[in-house]
Amino acid sequence: MKPVPLVLLITSVLLTTHIPLSTCRPRDLSLMNSQLDDVLLNRAGDDAMSYLVGEKLLQYLQRNLGAQKAGGVLHLPHFPTAQLRSPHEDNSLEELTEFSKRNDDPPISIDLTFHLLRNMIEMARNENQREQAGLNRKYLDEAGK
Amino acid sequence: MSGTSRAQLCFLLLSVTALRGHARFLDIQDNDISPEGLLSLLNSELKRELPEEFVYRRALRCLDMVAVEGQFTFTAERPQLNCAVFFIGEPSDIISIEYDSVNIDCRGGDFIKVFDGWVMKGEKFPSTQDHPLPLYERYSDYCETGVTRPIVRSSQNVAMLFFRLHQSGSSFTVTFRKLINPFPCNVVSQTPEGSFTMIIPQQHRNCSFSIIYPVEIQIGELSLGQHNDLRRSILGCAGSGDFVELLGGNGMDTSKMYPMADLCYSFNGPAQMKVGCDNTVVRMVSSGKFVNRVSFQYRLLGHQELQQMKGNSVEDVCLRA
Repeated sequence: MKPVPLVLLITSVLLTTHIPLSTCRPRDLSLMNSQLDDVLLNRAGDDAMSYLVGEKLLQYLQRNLGAQKAGGVLHLPHFPTAQLRSPHEDNSLEELTEFSKRNDDPPISIDLTFHLLRNMIEMARNENQREQAGLNRKYLDEAGK
Repeated sequence: MSGTSRAQLCFLLLSVTALRGHARFLDIQDNDISPEGLLSLLNSELKRELPEEFVYRRALRCLDMVAVEGQFTFTAERPQLNCAVFFIGEPSDIISIEYDSVNIDCRGGDFIKVFDGWVMKGEKFPSTQDHPLPLYERYSDYCETGVTRPIVRSSQNVAMLFFRLHQSGSSFTVTFRKLINPFPCNVVSQTPEGSFTMIIPQQHRNCSFSIIYPVEIQIGELSLGQHNDLRRSILGCAGSGDFVELLGGNGMDTSKMYPMADLCYSFNGPAQMKVGCDNTVVRMVSSGKFVNRVSFQYRLLGHQELQQMKGNSVEDVCLRA
C-alpha cells in the first residue's frame, strides 16, 4: 500500500477511536431504562423523595426485566399497596413497598430551622478558627527552628 | 509533492491524531526528582496533602456541620436511619469529599449519599435553575459509585452527606478538603456580615449568593456588559439577558423566593436595601456575551430595625412561622 493512503487510513482510524464516551450508547435494555428513568424523574419534578422511589423502581426492574425481556409489556408493580404475586418474588418488591410507605419520612432531605442552621454554622466556624489558630502556631513553631 | 515533504505531512497528520496531552506542573524541591514525584504525573488527582500529624480528626455526629478540613469518622452505636452532615467552606472554595474507609452493609439498606449543594425541607440550594447538573446527578451514592470514584467534588462552597446505618458497629471515614474556585458561583455565606465580588466571565449561567440572615445589602459597583447601553435600560430587566436581582424568602430554594429589586444597568456608587427575610440572595443572571461583575457588602439587621420594618410595611412579605 502506498504511504499516503496508509497514513490517511491510520489517521481516520485514530480520529474515530477518539469519540468521547458520551456519544456511544448501547441500543438495548439500558436505553429503555434510561427513558424510564427520565419519565419517572421528570414526571415527579424536583421532589427528591420521588427520585429515590424511582431509583428503587429502576433497580427492581433491572433485576427482574431479564425474565420478561421477551414480552413487550411491562408489568409495573402497583405501589404503594403492592401485593406479593408469588412466594418466589424476590425481596426487591418488598423493599420497594416498604420504602414508599415511608413517604412521610424522606431520608434525602432534612427539616431544620434557619435558627438551628445558623447556630450550627457558627459552631463549625469556631471549630475551624480554633483549628486554624493551632495549625498556625505549629507552622510558626516549625519555621522558628 | 516531493518525498520528504510528503513524509513530513504524514508525520504531522499522525501526531495530530495520536497525541492528546495534559499539561502538568511538578514542583521539585531541593533539586531532587523522586520516583514518587514522577509517578504523581500518572495520577490524575494532584492532592494537597498535609503531613500526618497536622491532619485534623474527630468523630462525626448524626447531625453535624463541618467547616474545617480533616478526617471525620462516624461509628454507629445504634441504628441511625436519618443522618445528615453539612459541609461549608469559604465563598471561594469548593468541597472535596473522599471516602477513606467504609464499613457499611449496602445490601442491607445502608447508604451514604453525597449531595452537591444543601437540601432543607425539600428545598435545594443551588436551585435547579442555577446548578449546572440535573438533580439526579447531584446525588452520588457510595453503594453505586463509591468504590470506583472515591472522591466527590461539589460545584460550590456547600455540600451534604446523607447516611443511614442499620447495624451498630458500622462506620465510615471521610476526608473533607477545600479546593480553590477562581470564579465562585453559588455561595452560602458563613457570616451575617461581609463583602463579596461576584464575577461571571462570559458564561451563560445564573449565580446566587445566599445569606441566611435578614441583612442590609449595599451594592457598591455593578458592571453588566461591556457598554452602558441606555437602550437596554429602557427595555427593563425582563428583556435583558444580564441582570442582578435581590431575592428574599424563608427557604433555601432561590426559585421560590420573592424578588425585592432588579438591577439591569451598570452603575457605580452605593445603592442599599434592607431585606427582612430569613434568607437574602443576590442573584446574577448572565447571558454569556459579557463579563459581568457585582460588588456588594452586607450587614445583619438588628432586632429594632426589623421591628421598625414590620411596623412600616402594610404586608409582611416574609412571613415567619
